[in-house]
Amino acid sequence: MRIYEDLRAVQTRVTVLQYATVALIGVLLVIFWHLQVVRGRYYRNLAENNRRRNVPIAAPRGVLLDRNEQILVENRPSFNVVLSTERTDELDGTVGRLSQLLQLGEAPIRERLPRRGQPARDVIIKADANIDDVAAVKARRLEFPDADVQVVPLRSYPLGAGAAHVLGYVGEVNDQQLQSHAYEGAEAGDVVGQSGIEQQYNRSLMGKDGLREVIVNSRGAEVGEAETRLPIVGPSAMLSLDAALQATAVQALGNRPGAAVALDPNTGEILLMTSVPAFDPNRFAKGMDAALWRGLLTDPDTPLINRVIQGQYAPGSVFKIVTTIAALEEKIITPETTFHCPGVYTKYGNEFHCHQGGPHGTVNLTQAIAQSCNVYFYNVGVKLEIERIARYAKMLGLGQVTGVDLPQEAAGVVPSPEWKMKRFKQPWWPGETVTVAIGQGMTATALQLARLAGIAATGKMVTPHLVKRVGDTPWPSPGPKDLGIKPETLAALHRGMQAVVAPGGTGWRAGLPGTSIIVCGKTGSAQVVQRSRLAKDASEENQPHGWFVAFAPMDKPRIALAVMVEHGGSGGQAAAPIAHEILAKFFGVAPVRTTPPVVIAGPIG
Amino acid sequence: MVDRRLLFNMDWVLLGAALALCAIGVATIHSATYSGHNAGLYLRQLYFVMIGIGVLAVSLVADYRRLADRSPLLYLLALILLVAVFFGPTIANTKRWFRLGPVLVQPSEFVKLVAALFVAKVFSESKKDTLGLFDIALPGLAVGILAVLIAAEPDLGTAACLVPLFLAVAFLAGLRLKAILGLTIVAAMLGAAAWVFALQDYQKDRVYIFIGAKKDPKGKGYQSDQSKIAVGSGGLTGRGYKQGTQAQLGYLPARHTDFIFSVLAEEIGFVGVVVVLGLYLLVLWRGLETAHLARDRVGAFLVVGIMGALSFQVIYNVAMVAGLVPVKGLPLPFMTYGGSSVLSSLLAIGLVLNVRMRRFAN
Repeated sequence: MRIYEDLRAVQTRVTVLQYATVALIGVLLVIFWHLQVVRGRYYRNLAENNRRRNVPIAAPRGVLLDRNEQILVENRPSFNVVLSTERTDELDGTVGRLSQLLQLGEAPIRERLPRRGQPARDVIIKADANIDDVAAVKARRLEFPDADVQVVPLRSYPLGAGAAHVLGYVGEVNDQQLQSHAYEGAEAGDVVGQSGIEQQYNRSLMGKDGLREVIVNSRGAEVGEAETRLPIVGPSAMLSLDAALQATAVQALGNRPGAAVALDPNTGEILLMTSVPAFDPNRFAKGMDAALWRGLLTDPDTPLINRVIQGQYAPGSVFKIVTTIAALEEKIITPETTFHCPGVYTKYGNEFHCHQGGPHGTVNLTQAIAQSCNVYFYNVGVKLEIERIARYAKMLGLGQVTGVDLPQEAAGVVPSPEWKMKRFKQPWWPGETVTVAIGQGMTATALQLARLAGIAATGKMVTPHLVKRVGDTPWPSPGPKDLGIKPETLAALHRGMQAVVAPGGTGWRAGLPGTSIIVCGKTGSAQVVQRSRLAKDASEENQPHGWFVAFAPMDKPRIALAVMVEHGGSGGQAAAPIAHEILAKFFGVAPVRTTPPVVIAGPIG
Repeated sequence: MVDRRLLFNMDWVLLGAALALCAIGVATIHSATYSGHNAGLYLRQLYFVMIGIGVLAVSLVADYRRLADRSPLLYLLALILLVAVFFGPTIANTKRWFRLGPVLVQPSEFVKLVAALFVAKVFSESKKDTLGLFDIALPGLAVGILAVLIAAEPDLGTAACLVPLFLAVAFLAGLRLKAILGLTIVAAMLGAAAWVFALQDYQKDRVYIFIGAKKDPKGKGYQSDQSKIAVGSGGLTGRGYKQGTQAQLGYLPARHTDFIFSVLAEEIGFVGVVVVLGLYLLVLWRGLETAHLARDRVGAFLVVGIMGALSFQVIYNVAMVAGLVPVKGLPLPFMTYGGSSVLSSLLAIGLVLNVRMRRFAN
């Protein structure tokens, strides 16, 4: 028989422990009440943020159409192989194996990976992947849980290099652009217009990206879809370009560096705009290839420059249109005024030569324009004086941007005593007026000269533009501005320009013989070296740039154009045949192949 | 053989509550793992529970007093096992296990029971009504050696369990309030010494991050944060069984082991938390009630020692899940996946039942 121990003291302490346990569990319950019931909504949101991720769906940019609704720029679906960089621990191996699978170099991929400290994002491993690549990646989902194939709209330019400068190209927005006002609303990774119409109308064309809200697990892999907001396609835009006319100009210009532009002189609608050499914007759409880009940047022929609006050349004898209007308006001459051309003009102790077509003998205005007689316009220019020449040049749209709806238009230079003092800190030398009168010692763009031809045709100045409407919004045309040029002045000018294109004129090759369409034109050549040097060395780079501007038909002008062939020699031989092809296409007549447009020696105005 | 009278004194409520927790644990493990490569774990856990019930039943045969009498021998065996694990396999940079056929056995889980038997035996032999610091020094050293060996594996959580186990029994045996105060001071000093000399950097980081004194660049507070999000997002009624996004999408770490309670809180909500904490409270209360009923000091001490360790584990684990205390690898008794943990928890209940059953017996 055992004696039971006295456990009373022990039992008291057990009770203490029991209530202590109740108290502690009670405290825990209060804390869980607070966490789950009081703060439940807050933690529910955190949990949702954990598992939901927003994946943008790129909105296709607006389609660009020509004036006949032919497609100039469209979008095609393409596949991008992308890699999530969320999980950094396995990134290195994944990149290695993935580049092997897709047969790509590893280095360019690693270049694109986010640097240390940069946030994780999806990196495009291969843009515009083919169906084999897509299949290979999709089949190895388990091996590459972070790789994915995205369907993205890719910009497609059916005209290729033929309209590269005017339409522009697209590319991923860069850091500098993200800061600028022009690209407001764009986010890192967005594809934006980088030049041409694509840049100018970027914001209108961009559309609105959609959003896919996906559910991801802790490894970042997508396990489901929560919600999808479809992208809104950018509005399509109709351009005033005529794709067929553009193609004709591209073909006529061939691979000779130069430019061609044509517009409707009544409205300013640009019908064609081409610049050679060019590039293929389709190659940029997939993402910029660094080697290709460097090649284009360093090419001495500057293929990235749009020569129509950025190339600044001396207008040469095309400027005689300005001199003529100024002289007639200022009553310096009448259409019947004659000057004698002995082949050389002596003034201020210098000899100013007519071109090699001279001496022209005694010529009136019509003959002077038709033969592009320099001596006639030397005389006129000296009487006009530089101030009035500059004033008329500006009035007729030179020395200032035309306001065309393209980025980075150049203004050209109209010289004047004030300009020279400001620019070179030197006084004006009267002899300079003589050369300015025939369009040397100044610069203009092809677009300015095409518009000048339009002003010569109608007496009205238009704002050249490319977009007719974006979506349903028409281009806000300021309308043509009447410059108040007297009809007699225009009539006299037309007689001269008609004679240029008529047989015996310097621009006869541009005419449309056998039709009732009267073409008015003016040739020009922009000297690049002194006459004396050209006489010694007639190699191509010393040849002047050949100009030809025209409008037609004379009585009811519908088209005004400018063609420039770099180092083409005379405008009549190099540029006029190209203008002929464009005009023939425009009026729907068969072109007459006179002589093949070849470079010839000797500067003939 | 088990006397039929003994079965009459069986505490079916205590056993039922413990088994209910095991069942909830199996269901929660199923939810936490069914979609991954661990999908079959809940079945294994179910087998462990069934084996545990068997072992519990068998353990009832042996009189707890005989077990307590042999506790010095068991203590030696524990020492050998704890040294042996250092020659066992290394898993996740720790040496806590040795391999026994297809399963890994974690001796430290069973050492807790041995320590309870040993401490109960030692203090029950004391003839004093009150104890001072000096009186508990030797048994303290004995338990301390076990704790240090476990902490060296390293397994700080399990080692820490021995502290409340020891203190609860010492308190029951008459430890004076002054001594408890003195012990607190000694503990603080030991803690400071450990901080300087013994704690690994990762352990220090956990504390720094927990108290917000250190930024968390490598996401060491990640576990705690994700667990809090899981618990909080559960709300009143939970997101639904197998519907917790934190658990199912893998944001919750160690979700079928140390953070199993987090899964329950997320999917069943505050309602589930109340039920499960209620069951734990029932187990702890009924367990301690047994100490009232025990026929002798050694029985009462054994029960309190076991309950000390068990309540510490439950309270610390649940507090950790709620982000209240630093993350420590400490399983939740009955619910966390793991054979050793389930077996040792059920054996602990077995020992408590053992004491209760023999309250009138000789």
